[in-house]
Amino acid sequence: MSKGIRLELRAREELFINLEPLQRGGIVPAESRKIAISYIDGYSTCDYCLGTLHIVKKPPICDFLTEVTDFLGMDRAILTHGCREAKFAIMHAITEPGQVIVMDENRHYTSYVAAERAGLKIYEVPSTGYPEFKIRPEEYASTIEKAKKESGELPALALLTHVDWTHGNLVDAEKVGKICQEYNVPFLLNTAYSSGRMPINGKRLLADFITCSGHKSWAAGAGVVGILAIRDEWKDKVLKASQRYKVKPIEILGCSARGTSALVLMASFPYVKERVTHWDEEVEKARWFSGQMESLGEIRQLGDKPHNHDLIRFETPILDKIAQKHKRRGYFLYEELLKRNIVGIKAGKTKSFDLSTYGLSKEQLGYVIDSFKDIINKLS
Amino acid sequence: MTTKIVEKTFEALFALEDLREIWRKTAPFHNLTKEQKEEARAILNNVRKTLDEIEGEIK
Repeated sequence: MSKGIRLELRAREELFINLEPLQRGGIVPAESRKIAISYIDGYSTCDYCLGTLHIVKKPPICDFLTEVTDFLGMDRAILTHGCREAKFAIMHAITEPGQVIVMDENRHYTSYVAAERAGLKIYEVPSTGYPEFKIRPEEYASTIEKAKKESGELPALALLTHVDWTHGNLVDAEKVGKICQEYNVPFLLNTAYSSGRMPINGKRLLADFITCSGHKSWAAGAGVVGILAIRDEWKDKVLKASQRYKVKPIEILGCSARGTSALVLMASFPYVKERVTHWDEEVEKARWFSGQMESLGEIRQLGDKPHNHDLIRFETPILDKIAQKHKRRGYFLYEELLKRNIVGIKAGKTKSFDLSTYGLSKEQLGYVIDSFKDIINKLS
Repeated sequence: MTTKIVEKTFEALFALEDLREIWRKTAPFHNLTKEQKEEARAILNNVRKTLDEIEGEIK
């Protein structure tokens, strides 16, 4: 395509059923792709700059952030380059190096890395382990107690991964919020796999901070973009401006997503607001799919049961047995699915893998089930 | 002419994004329903008309 670097045309969503859990919630609707075409040039958000990104009126970034704030049930919201940048911004703003952070064992690696970068000592809330890997909210209390006993002070922050990236487990955030409130520990809710897919109200969940992933769950690809939403009492710390450049928030280095990704997030917002009202249908579809997969035999769904999210991990000894004898070893599954126009399960994975049913029709998912059945019947 | 040809170019591109949406919704085999076929034909007609208008402007 290009005369320089040769780039392949990417037509994954047009030619295949894509099960990749990282990508399903970030698939961009037509109206937003149209916006992406016109705002593709550098600094396209800045034609009418008013000093910093979150106050820009044309395009209406400021109004959009007001709506997003209401949508998330918080007091203020700004754009970030992604969810991880939002998490780091909070940690950096409200903690001091050497202080303690408590986070769930199912956390995304970026939560851990952000805490490391902020110089924090990490205490992990253990999961229940195989096969459900649940995070029990009450374990936050015991981990806070342990951290307090060992470090001599309360944690500076508690982080909960609302829905985790490996098993799609949904944790009762309100219970964790109550515990944090009782201990007076600020509560950061990472909603990378929940907000934008399902309704979220941060205040109802007693969160001080909400972090969101635009490209993961808000139908906003076109680069990377996130949202950082806070309660008002944290504005002076988290949104603190530079002393020299009075309108530039320090924690996002003044302005964050200065282009297409911000505009796509905005353009997708009406679509996102509508789709979260169908979350129950998505859960029902995921449960149906999980049951159908297990009915194929020697396949077990891990994590919450019944499942409460479209991200599902399966343990698949039947496929691993095939891999032991197949000339392509673990790659057979990826290749057999590809032949059937199905992608998104990582190449080489046969012991267990995760996938997402989000936004796929029952007909498409039925075809995926039939394809697994066909592969197992042919090769086992 | 200048504004019109640019607007029409975007109009054609945007219509093709609508067509692309049909391919996405019907992946991987694109077995279109009667309504989807009608929608695809309407999009194609719109694109052809728009391209003709652009061509008319640059003659």
